This record gives sequence, structure tokens and C-alpha cells, in this order.
Amino acid sequence: MPEISNDARFMGAVTAQSMHEMQNILAIIRESAGLMGDILKVNSRVDFKHKPNMVKTLENITFQVDRGKGLLDATSRLAHTPDADLLECCDLTAFCRTLGQLADRYVRLKGTSLKFTLPSTALPVSIGALQVLMSGYKALQWAVGAGMKDGVLRADLEAGTDFHVLVISPPQGVNPDRDKVPALSTMLEPGRAEWDGRQLRLFFPAKR
Amino acid sequence: MEMNTWNILLVDDEVDFITTLAERLELRGVEARVVHDGESALKAVSDNVPQVMVLDVMMPGMKGIDVLQRVKAEHPDVRVILLTGQGKTRDGIEGMRHGAFAYLTKPLDLEELLRTISEAISSPEGTTHA
Repeated sequence: MPEISNDARFMGAVTAQSMHEMQNILAIIRESAGLMGDILKVNSRVDFKHKPNMVKTLENITFQVDRGKGLLDATSRLAHTPDADLLECCDLTAFCRTLGQLADRYVRLKGTSLKFTLPSTALPVSIGALQVLMSGYKALQWAVGAGMKDGVLRADLEAGTDFHVLVISPPQGVNPDRDKVPALSTMLEPGRAEWDGRQLRLFFPAKR
Repeated sequence: MEMNTWNILLVDDEVDFITTLAERLELRGVEARVVHDGESALKAVSDNVPQVMVLDVMMPGMKGIDVLQRVKAEHPDVRVILLTGQGKTRDGIEGMRHGAFAYLTKPLDLEELLRTISEAISSPEGTTHA
């Protein structure tokens, strides 16, 4: 079984608890904004000067809650990666979705947008969830480099037979350092990483 | 079945969340009873068996899965909709194994909750939400 440090277990357990509390907080905010919206609708014949602003603000609250929900989901999944049932295998589709949610802000801060495509089915792999996220995140950081304004970093997950492959295409004009690829490959063992000068391929061993 | 005839029980220890949810349901003509822990839920069920129980999984004291098992053992016709945490869809899957009709994640989409309750009430015994 892979080694997970006590530090990682501690951080995971405490973060998971906090994320659960955040869910409740977001749920209260959403229901409260929803109730205010309901009250406005019930009293739709009553008009007042700032009514359009109030409607717009309530819509904005709901939008931000939904935005927070996705990030909360991803962070909660990250926090659970030291759990025993995720140490040696996981669903690659689900954790690549998580990877996309976690890496989005980092890529955006480089002036680049992250475009992930995922299959609709689960892809079980015989690699732990934490390993998937760490290697995937490092690979995306490597591929985006210093970034490219209005550039697009693509990540496409492809189902295979012995391996499922995450194909990462750096933004046009970005030339990642190929000397760092072996280190990425080591992080993925028993999988591997390959760079052909245009695309980085991360090979994850399929679980039989 | 008309929404204003539904018999719903809401169970969650987050008082602000569940009472606000109950108010929103009331504005839509749905009267729902509210309790805040597992023991109170069991008492509420035995006093007046609901058609649908919306039940939080993580509560202090008696956990939602334990409440689910007790309710299904004594009142198999009650449809239970679990509210689970984001990172723990396994709670939802475990709940389905113990007879839950469906599971939803917080924060809720109210329209999705209403659709799920409606499906639960009109479904034959033993079916689960697709």
C-alpha cells in the first residue's frame, strides 16, 4: 500500500471536516437568497425603486454559491484522498474532473484558460487518487509554464486498454522544459509520462 | 397527488438551513414537519408516518444511515431522500444499499428536491430514483 504521511492524513481529515461545514454554510446562503427571491415573486405586484437591483443581487448570490459548490466538491475530494479506499485505485474520470476544478484558478492567473474533456464513463485505474491529482497538477503547471495571454491549455482524457491517457496540449507559443518530463514520469509509476514535442501524455494503468 | 396533500418530514441539525427550506416549501403549498436529530426523527415517524423523509447523513448523535435503517425496518413504505456531503457520494451509495430512494448534495437545488419528492411519492415500493 502506498505510504501516506501522518501530515497528509491530518490535513486531509481536518480539511474534510471544514469542507463539510462550508457545504452547510453555502446551503444556508442559497436557501436564504432563494427565500428572498420567493418573497419578491409572491409580492410581484409591489414595486419599489431598487427592486431590479435586488433581483439581480439575489441572482448573483445564487450564481456565486453554485461556483463555490464546484470548488468545494473538488477540495473535499482532495481532502479524502488519504482515505484507505483511495490509496491504490480510483476513478480517473472523477479525479480528472477534480483536477480541472482545482487547477482552473492557477491556469487563469497565467492569463490562460483550461479546457478539459472527459468521457462520460468511469475509468478505474490502479493508482491512488492523491497520486493522480499530484502528478496531474504538476503536469498542468509544467504545461502552462509562464502562461500565454488568452492562450488555451487543453487536457483530454482518453480511455485505453492497458492504460488510460490524459493528453495535455500546452498553449500555443509556450515551450515547456522537456528536461522535467522524467520527474513527471517518476511521479506516475507504475504509469509514465511522454512528451513528443507538442503534447504530453500521462499514462495511468487501467484497473482490471 | 397535489403538493398540498404531501406528508413530508425534514431532518437536519442545521436549524437555519432546514427551517428556511421548510418556509420555501410552505410558499409552494407544501407543509413539511421539521426535526433536528435522529431520535426526534424516529419519534416523528412513529407519531405520523410520512410519505417522504428528507434526511441529512451527517448529524451529531444518531447518524442518518442509522435512522434510515431503523425507519425502513419499521416503515418500509417511507421513501427516504438522503442529503450527503460533496466528497462522500459513497454515503449516498451506501444509503441506496440500505433502501434510500435517492440522494442529493448540498447546497440543494429546490426544484430538483421537489421533482425528487414527487417521483418518490408516485413511485411503487422498492423502486429508486434513476
